[in-house]
Amino acid sequence: MGVIDVLNLLVASLLLAGIYTTMSIGMTIIYGVMKIINLAHAGFMMLGAYFVYEVFNRLGVHPILGALLAFPVFFLLGMAVHWLLVRWLPVSDQPTLPSLLLLFGLWLVLQNVGYAAWGNLDRSIYTDMTLATVRLGPLTLSVVQLVVFTVAVISVVLLQFMLTRTWFGRAVRALTQNPFAGQLVGIDTARMSRLSFGLGIAFAGLAGALLASLYSFDPDFGRPFLLRSFVIIVLGGLESFTGVALGALILALVETFSVQFVPAGYQMAISFSLLVVALLVLPGGVASLIERRGRTT
Amino acid sequence: MTAAPTGTRTHPPRVTAARDLAAAAVLVAVLAVLPWTEWGNLRLLFTTLIWTTCSIAWNLVGGYAGQVSFGFAVFYGIGAYTAAVLITEAHVNPYLAFAGAALAAAAASLLVGIPTFRLRGPYFAIATIGINEAVRVVMNNMEAVGAASGYRVNEMVGGQRAPFVMAEHYLSMVVIFAVALLVSILVARSRFGLALTAIRDDEDAAADIGINAFQHKLAAHALAAALVGAAGGAYARYAAFIDPGGVFNFNNSVSILLMPVIGGLATVWGPIIGGAVYGIVQEELVARFSQIHLGLYGTLLILAILFEPGGVVGLMRRVWRALTGRRVQGGPVPARGVKA
Repeated sequence: MGVIDVLNLLVASLLLAGIYTTMSIGMTIIYGVMKIINLAHAGFMMLGAYFVYEVFNRLGVHPILGALLAFPVFFLLGMAVHWLLVRWLPVSDQPTLPSLLLLFGLWLVLQNVGYAAWGNLDRSIYTDMTLATVRLGPLTLSVVQLVVFTVAVISVVLLQFMLTRTWFGRAVRALTQNPFAGQLVGIDTARMSRLSFGLGIAFAGLAGALLASLYSFDPDFGRPFLLRSFVIIVLGGLESFTGVALGALILALVETFSVQFVPAGYQMAISFSLLVVALLVLPGGVASLIERRGRTT
Repeated sequence: MTAAPTGTRTHPPRVTAARDLAAAAVLVAVLAVLPWTEWGNLRLLFTTLIWTTCSIAWNLVGGYAGQVSFGFAVFYGIGAYTAAVLITEAHVNPYLAFAGAALAAAAASLLVGIPTFRLRGPYFAIATIGINEAVRVVMNNMEAVGAASGYRVNEMVGGQRAPFVMAEHYLSMVVIFAVALLVSILVARSRFGLALTAIRDDEDAAADIGINAFQHKLAAHALAAALVGAAGGAYARYAAFIDPGGVFNFNNSVSILLMPVIGGLATVWGPIIGGAVYGIVQEELVARFSQIHLGLYGTLLILAILFEPGGVVGLMRRVWRALTGRRVQGGPVPARGVKA
């Protein structure tokens, strides 16, 4: 493997990490504020992909623009789902079994909606962008991957800005760190849960919509990505927003480079084993490792 | 959340155990006589019994001990493959092969459980999703047993292919089901079962009164895996063809989890009701309306969580209480906020 190959793989990992971050950050928001592991994440990603597909085929909206449209639509959808189902769950400072099962049931229903509406055929979105490439010195980059990466990074940067600079963001971080102290200073937890659930689903929809430009999809589309999101947020330490980006990068690197050494068929097995290993060895995530080092020095 | 309140029990445990055992004996006797009567679709009953056995097994770990696993298809698949290979390659007697399948699945459950039971609640659940997918991918690439294209089961008797006798397949499944039911009743009314319940309600408190949570969880898991493995073995012999996309499918793990939740967690009869409903609905509905079964189970799950966490059994108890105006009798019903 020459230097150019390694460089190409590194760039590919970075591009992959961008979309992985967008896909997982919605789970982190919901987990952080509500301590709910959103198993329905995959379902919303799948709906996001079909949303773009529909607006592209029916209205001729460009898929990237469609992905941006998906964000507000899924924000409202998320709030509606919260109002209808999630708010009835018992409040807890730990993930509870009912929440896991409720959202799992929702995933099944969403999947069924997908099958009922679009059948089980693979769909894909093909535009001028799909096969276009740009050459950057010795590197060849796919245009669609670059565009998706850019949108993903912008969305995450905007989220970071909102989390650090707005009242809403501070409330989200406060509830993530200590829900009781948050309530003491007058944060309306019910309203915050609704908003953050909406925001989490909005990111799921956006991620699914962006992924639709890269891969073909069917109603079972989100499952491998749901598992990847688990790996990422566990690597990232579940509650840390910067940890998510780190986790995404680690998973992207592992996936991209493992293809060189392990048969492609086993690639998924490596990601999922990474999940189990991460859960066991690094319960606080990579971010905690860095924090710990920062504290001791 | 607070621990689940236990229902007041007016009968001593031995009486309820005897009642459950009597009911179980009647059920098994009726099932065993069916092949000699005019009624009963043996194929439908066979599949239903497989599902019900898995449902009972999952309830030991997910219901009593409160450890939600999304990975039971692993044990089902390992049981199926073990029995298939033993029957086809080593010409082992099929019943010994089922026992081998149970042992192999129990051994696999230790491999899965020893690392993952260090995790609590939802983290365990997530890890099992990862394990299920990882094992399926590995089996999809394992050339020795045909990889993704599957494995054909060849049962030879005296140099010839054994004839297919539906009644024999069915009766062997009745036996496995009876064992599962017996195990479930014994666990429900034993010290071991109480320890599992204590672990579910509060693992730290259980540890304080001297329960080794890790060992108890491993034991329950191994017991459950053995039952699921035997059921998988019976399926492999019946179907005569298995593939990783079929037996190791994540959807199997999902179904195995749904049945006891819908029927009633941590009860003896809940998983059986759930399994029977599931088996019959699966065979009757999927044939006709394959488009709605996922949504149906999803909706049932959502409704159960929001309105009746005790499942069908909880609902029946509630109706009974409303009709008789008496306080409910019987075992513990998981409360709304069962701690994961």
